[in-house]
Amino acid sequence: MSTSTKQMGRAGARSRTLGSLGQLFARYGIVIALGLIVLALSVLSDNFLTSGNLTNVLRQVSINGILAVGMTFVILTGGIDLSIGSVLALTGMVGASLVVGSKPHSPILAILAALAVGVVAGACSGIFIAWVRLPAFVVTLGMLSAVRGLTLIYSQGMPISNLSSGFKFLGQGTFLGIPVSVVLFGATALAAWVVLAYTVYGRRVYAVGGNMRSAHTCGINVRGIIFSVYALMGLLSALAGVTLTARTTAALPQAGVAYELDAIAAVVIGGTSLTGGIGGIPLTVVGVLIIGLLNNGLDLLGISSYYQQVIKGLMIVAAVLIDKARHADAA
Amino acid sequence: MRLEVLATTRSPKPAVTSSLLTRRQILKAGLAVTGLGFVTGCRNKSGKSVHRIAVPLQGMTAEFMQLWVRGAQAHPAIKNGLATFTVFDGRMDALTQANQFDTIITQRYDAIIFIPVDVQAGVGPATQAKAAGIPMIGSNTLLADRSLYVSYIGSESVISGEYVAHGVIDRLGGKGNVVVLEGLIGQSAQVERRQGINKVLAQSPNIKVLETKSANWSRAEAQSLMENWLTSHGNTINGVISHNDEMALGAIEAMKARGIDFATHPVGGIDGLTDALEAVKRGEMSTTLQDANAQAQGSIDLALKVLIGPSYKPMSDIWNQYPGQLSWDDGKKTEYLVPWTPVTGENVDRLLAIRRAG
Repeated sequence: MSTSTKQMGRAGARSRTLGSLGQLFARYGIVIALGLIVLALSVLSDNFLTSGNLTNVLRQVSINGILAVGMTFVILTGGIDLSIGSVLALTGMVGASLVVGSKPHSPILAILAALAVGVVAGACSGIFIAWVRLPAFVVTLGMLSAVRGLTLIYSQGMPISNLSSGFKFLGQGTFLGIPVSVVLFGATALAAWVVLAYTVYGRRVYAVGGNMRSAHTCGINVRGIIFSVYALMGLLSALAGVTLTARTTAALPQAGVAYELDAIAAVVIGGTSLTGGIGGIPLTVVGVLIIGLLNNGLDLLGISSYYQQVIKGLMIVAAVLIDKARHADAA
Repeated sequence: MRLEVLATTRSPKPAVTSSLLTRRQILKAGLAVTGLGFVTGCRNKSGKSVHRIAVPLQGMTAEFMQLWVRGAQAHPAIKNGLATFTVFDGRMDALTQANQFDTIITQRYDAIIFIPVDVQAGVGPATQAKAAGIPMIGSNTLLADRSLYVSYIGSESVISGEYVAHGVIDRLGGKGNVVVLEGLIGQSAQVERRQGINKVLAQSPNIKVLETKSANWSRAEAQSLMENWLTSHGNTINGVISHNDEMALGAIEAMKARGIDFATHPVGGIDGLTDALEAVKRGEMSTTLQDANAQAQGSIDLALKVLIGPSYKPMSDIWNQYPGQLSWDDGKKTEYLVPWTPVTGENVDRLLAIRRAG
């Protein structure tokens, strides 16, 4: 133990001597990485820097982007939500079930119903985590399984297709020339950024994640804040769920399996600390873009997806290493 | 009316009445206990013991497996209470399935109809079942060691690969550029469908494969992949060969967004899912139907033949459905191959009607 303390101390000293350059890299290394990826892909593929392709990339990342925005709130409080892929599938299914058949309901109603189901699912996790004080990992792991089961029960394991065109607009339409799903992601990210950076609520989310006890001492309703981030995560999972359903033009019972991992990866690559209190939306968006660009670029270049997974894995570990160096700096 | 849930490996209680339950109720109750299986059987009113068949299958999230179960439930012997069957949902995981075999063996089922998650990993559990003296019929997916079966009924995956490749390549007049969407790498369906596709490609010198990549059977993944391919290859892609319908449907969405004409850009899939049949009707793709109903009902007849003996006459009408291609032959053969049905504009309405009636 004493050696490790010593090592940490030494690491801290070393990064301090590196000074501002090291800090700069620790803080914006991931932005530099994004720049390098864009540069490399522009050189390697003629088709990369075309508006059509960039629109594709944005459309492809929008689902993971919406999830990662929600996940940023959760992780900022020091929590985690593993159930989002299942909530996405259930809410997509609920939304789709209301816009099929000879008398489809209005798409607005379907979307609101899906969002409501998402909030309820998130709130269930939130209650157990905030008030019953069970570990978020365990509660949401349980929800991952239970909600997937509910999805299968609700759908009888069969996909729902032939959705009304009004509903499909969400995934396929455009708004001022931009795909609606991208607009939704952009609006979500922008709103989340404003909330986190400029509102009292946002500061409280950081405070709870930074030091729960002192947040409590300062009179912050810690449990309320924790509950709220899971409810919000549920809401955004539902938004992603209806968007995905509209994009694939069918609600599939096996949709969203393992999506939580990509969302967590984006948040971590974006430098948000898994212990909470440090991070933010802009760098999460960078993380989302990096994952999306890697997928897109390797498809364009015809490189096996096996490498893609290796690269994503390495980036996650690198991001955590940077995060650790930053912690040592602060110490 | 109560449902017995096979959550323990203790000796079985008498199976309970569920014939009054609708399929929906059964499915709901069964799936609520994630994958531990559910009883659809009953004891005869006369108190005679019924033949209890265990059906460990790949996973109830796949539409094909749903159709298989639906077919089995419609079998006359199940309907009249001569036999019951219990589904064990393998959740696409070989280990889950192996554990379920332990349950099946300790519960002393009379017969097993086995649809393995993995053709290699299924051999171990199947060997145990054989050692325990439980006869086994194979269905849909052929185990690596076929000596473990009494008999097998399924459709040849390699042939479906040939069908899908032919469907696309013939429409292109044997000339042009195609992309191939592959299933989850390493699964037997992917390996065998690839074999069939490659066989046809080898005979088509003027077809150039621009890209081959896995979209893991997923519609959403295939959609993104196709968008990226359309970006990198633009309008040079003439056709899409897909290992299953889900991915073909994803590719179609990507192509629709680019305004591509399906009359000149054929897309081919495999399985004959309901969504795909509808897409065939709209002229967007071609597919080949795998007859889940025939595989399910055929395997129940074969299991009952083993349990009842030579006096058993098959009760399903599937044996008259493919004259000259599939016949009962006293249930003595070790392998029954259900033919694939290429779905065309002519037969799609009939096939859709059958699907909706089911």
